[in-house]
Amino acid sequence: MIVGSQKSIDEIWNMVKDFKKVLVFGCNTCVAICHAGGDKEAETIATLLRMRAAQQGSGMVVTHSSVMRHCEPEYFDPVMDELKQYDLILSTACGVGVNFLSARSGNIPVYPGINTSFYGAVQKAGDFVELCGGCGDCVLHLTGGICPVVRCSKSLMNGPCGGTKNGKCEVSDKIDCAWYLIVERMKQLGTLEKLAEIQPVRNWSHSTHGGPRRIVIEHLQELEQQENKG
Amino acid sequence: MSGGSLENQGAHFERVKALKETRPYSPCRAACPVNTDVQAYVGFIAQGRYAEAFEVIRSVNPIASVCSMICHHPCEQACRRCSVDEPLAVRPLKRFALEKAADYRRNKRKLVQKTKNKSIGVIGSGPSGLTAVNDLADLGYQVTIYERHPVLGGMLASAIPPYRLPRETLQQDIDDVISKGVEVKTNCEIGKSITLKDIMAKHDAVLVAVGLSLSRSLPIPGVEGPGVLLAIPFLEDVAFDRKPALGNRVLVIGGGNVAMDVARSARRLGVRNVEMVCLESAEEMPAWKWEVDEAVEEGITIHHRWGPKAIKREGNTVKGLEVEKVLSVFDKDRRFSPTFDKNQTTLIEADTIIITIGQMSDMSFLKDSPVQVDERGRAVWDSKTHMSSAKGVFFSGEVVTGPGSAIAAAASGHRSAVAIHLYIQGEQIEGNLPSYDKEKISQLPEDVIAKINRAPRIKLHHLPPETRCSSFVAFESGYDEMEALEEAGRCRGCGGGAVVDKNKCMACLTCQRICPYGAPVVTSFSEIRPEFCQACGLCAPECPGQAISMVSYDVREFRDTLPSLVGAVDSKRNEPVIVAFLCSHHVGAPGFTLPDNVRKVPVHCTSRIDVNDLLKALECGADGVAVVRCSGDSCKYKGIGVRVNARVVHTKQLIGMLGMEPGRVEILTADSHNGNAYNTVCADFSGRIKQLGLIQRSNRL
Repeated sequence: MIVGSQKSIDEIWNMVKDFKKVLVFGCNTCVAICHAGGDKEAETIATLLRMRAAQQGSGMVVTHSSVMRHCEPEYFDPVMDELKQYDLILSTACGVGVNFLSARSGNIPVYPGINTSFYGAVQKAGDFVELCGGCGDCVLHLTGGICPVVRCSKSLMNGPCGGTKNGKCEVSDKIDCAWYLIVERMKQLGTLEKLAEIQPVRNWSHSTHGGPRRIVIEHLQELEQQENKG
Repeated sequence: MSGGSLENQGAHFERVKALKETRPYSPCRAACPVNTDVQAYVGFIAQGRYAEAFEVIRSVNPIASVCSMICHHPCEQACRRCSVDEPLAVRPLKRFALEKAADYRRNKRKLVQKTKNKSIGVIGSGPSGLTAVNDLADLGYQVTIYERHPVLGGMLASAIPPYRLPRETLQQDIDDVISKGVEVKTNCEIGKSITLKDIMAKHDAVLVAVGLSLSRSLPIPGVEGPGVLLAIPFLEDVAFDRKPALGNRVLVIGGGNVAMDVARSARRLGVRNVEMVCLESAEEMPAWKWEVDEAVEEGITIHHRWGPKAIKREGNTVKGLEVEKVLSVFDKDRRFSPTFDKNQTTLIEADTIIITIGQMSDMSFLKDSPVQVDERGRAVWDSKTHMSSAKGVFFSGEVVTGPGSAIAAAASGHRSAVAIHLYIQGEQIEGNLPSYDKEKISQLPEDVIAKINRAPRIKLHHLPPETRCSSFVAFESGYDEMEALEEAGRCRGCGGGAVVDKNKCMACLTCQRICPYGAPVVTSFSEIRPEFCQACGLCAPECPGQAISMVSYDVREFRDTLPSLVGAVDSKRNEPVIVAFLCSHHVGAPGFTLPDNVRKVPVHCTSRIDVNDLLKALECGADGVAVVRCSGDSCKYKGIGVRVNARVVHTKQLIGMLGMEPGRVEILTADSHNGNAYNTVCADFSGRIKQLGLIQRSNRL
């Protein structure tokens, strides 16, 4: 899932301070699970903004609400009229949600209430870890299920580098060396010999370097069009 | 100044009431024949809100005061605490609440307007009749009670000895009902003073609730003659102070609760030597164990497993009861079918014998009436409609259900009142009467039992046996405030815990991860298993979708009341405005006070406090916010401190981002056994906030 983290209230205030009527709009899926931008955090941000507004003598009105997702129109379309009552929507969805909603909110600007951080997993309550870089060209079958793109600080395809030390990365001793983990894991799986094969230079055009990506599932798309025609 | 917004709380409890109807009942409530919401009134007691506790009790139980003294409390037998230590002392808590609410109750009595131009005659004013009268009066009917005794209350007034049920206690219930505007005809015995036909002619419908007024006797030699009494006439003599003639050695035949009343009354009439004889062993006796224990304490000897064979007399004088050994009381199907060893007999010496082996109804008044009787002389009635074979003549209570408890008779009274109302309205009765048979949550799972703090039940004080046997004065003293509070705190709030709004839940697993009792199970959404949930509320504030609310005491609703609680903040104030969240189970403590500048928010447990609640209090104008936790062992939940602490720390960080001093939000700890401790810790906190300075706001929402 997508993991986000809260922005500081100063940063948010500087974004929103010139607006009169602000809606903090929560997204109740990924960013709720990581306690960054669900209904509860939207309420927290709204309260903090009202308190800041009171401190500053601003007449700003701030409320909060939320829907299940900002990245699918069916979730927010029913409340679109309500959304348009505001001068500003501060979306606490991930960047996807902010982009998507912004393109559909007419004259109402949509600003980001959180920072979208990474694709991650929940190790335990309150502990989120980045495990995938979304590079568009997955090699996990070659690397023991450990992503070198995002878990290696240098995104090396043929690691480790000389900076590995006691299983840790030279960037920080708090970071595991991904290639150390890969080797250990592949030993365990009995597939260490696969590492003898040198991986070619990667085609990064599948990643964010080749412009915005889009995936269209033809059979779903066609069915939708047929139904529209019928 | 420091009270919450009752108006909002009223709406809250209406919502809770409705919500509870959609969910399985707590076992105590399901076990109560009238489904009294025990948990709700115990919660009010804990907050010192006795008027509301009274309302909860009285809303379903017109013989509330009676039950507060003599109820056999099936709620306690069903209490899930039984599997932890001892059940909650529900009956004594009810008594406490009603005694505390006495003034409120008296002032509340008023005439109910007669909105219906129909009249109902009710024959008998025992638990069933009185309940039906109450309900029919509330519905706006003109009601007339016909009672054969000089006072109302049926057996409650004429047979239950006053040491168990003081008459002034009974009168509380009677006054509630009569004050609604009911015509009362006492000393009016049906079949003698007036016939059933006369009553039918006067009213649009008639309810017969005459109970079981006759004592059964024994067909044994020697039973006729002086020195042998029957239970009900004896108890009536006691009740009306007619001093029954007893010898020096009284033997009571029977092992039920009425036998206990008879034997213990005989002790109180000055007889030193009172014995009982019954067919059953101590374990088999139908009398409640506590009645038996108290009787034994009072010096009453019980001869178990002997059956009466003959009453021995010398001339006319009773010398004793010849008894034979009981081999068995019940057959293999647990039906009453005693067998005896005729060769093993003995004589129990006595000069007075009181036969207390059961009661039956007196149906002689049905002679020449349109009500059909069966081959055993009992009225023919339909339990699905409460109606007899005569149109418009209804029956309720023990006269048709057989012997049972007062509260079960009251339940029958409720049903018959609805039946009569439907009949008068011309609507179908069958299928439309209230049912008290409700789905309930199951017993505590083993691993949850292990996680529940042990807390001994608060004992009641009894007068010493020798003192209590010297009069008919009630020997059990009720709880004082501190005791009631402690006992109320033992309630686990079964069924009052967390519920998930499926429309908001995104199955994130947070609740499942943090619940100390393993209550939530997340599949496509979270489902919180009520039998596991202990209503601590720890999960609700952590739910990122705010999908979890609590059936009882949902903090989120209190959050909305904070603006009115804090009220207008005087910019020239000298003292800081403090909002204190504290355990509702200690707000009612004797001596509980808070400084004038502290606004209290009672919550079921501080584990339900959310970061947003603390922020909201500050936003509303508080200069400081305190979460006041109960000290040490007095919290009924385990291991919540770290999470509450983490929320306070997080709030400090958040207000730090606004440039506010983190010290404006603190956790305080008060010794919950001492109400003044809350005052002291809040006053200290207030002093610290004053040093930090009062917050000047240019505008406030």
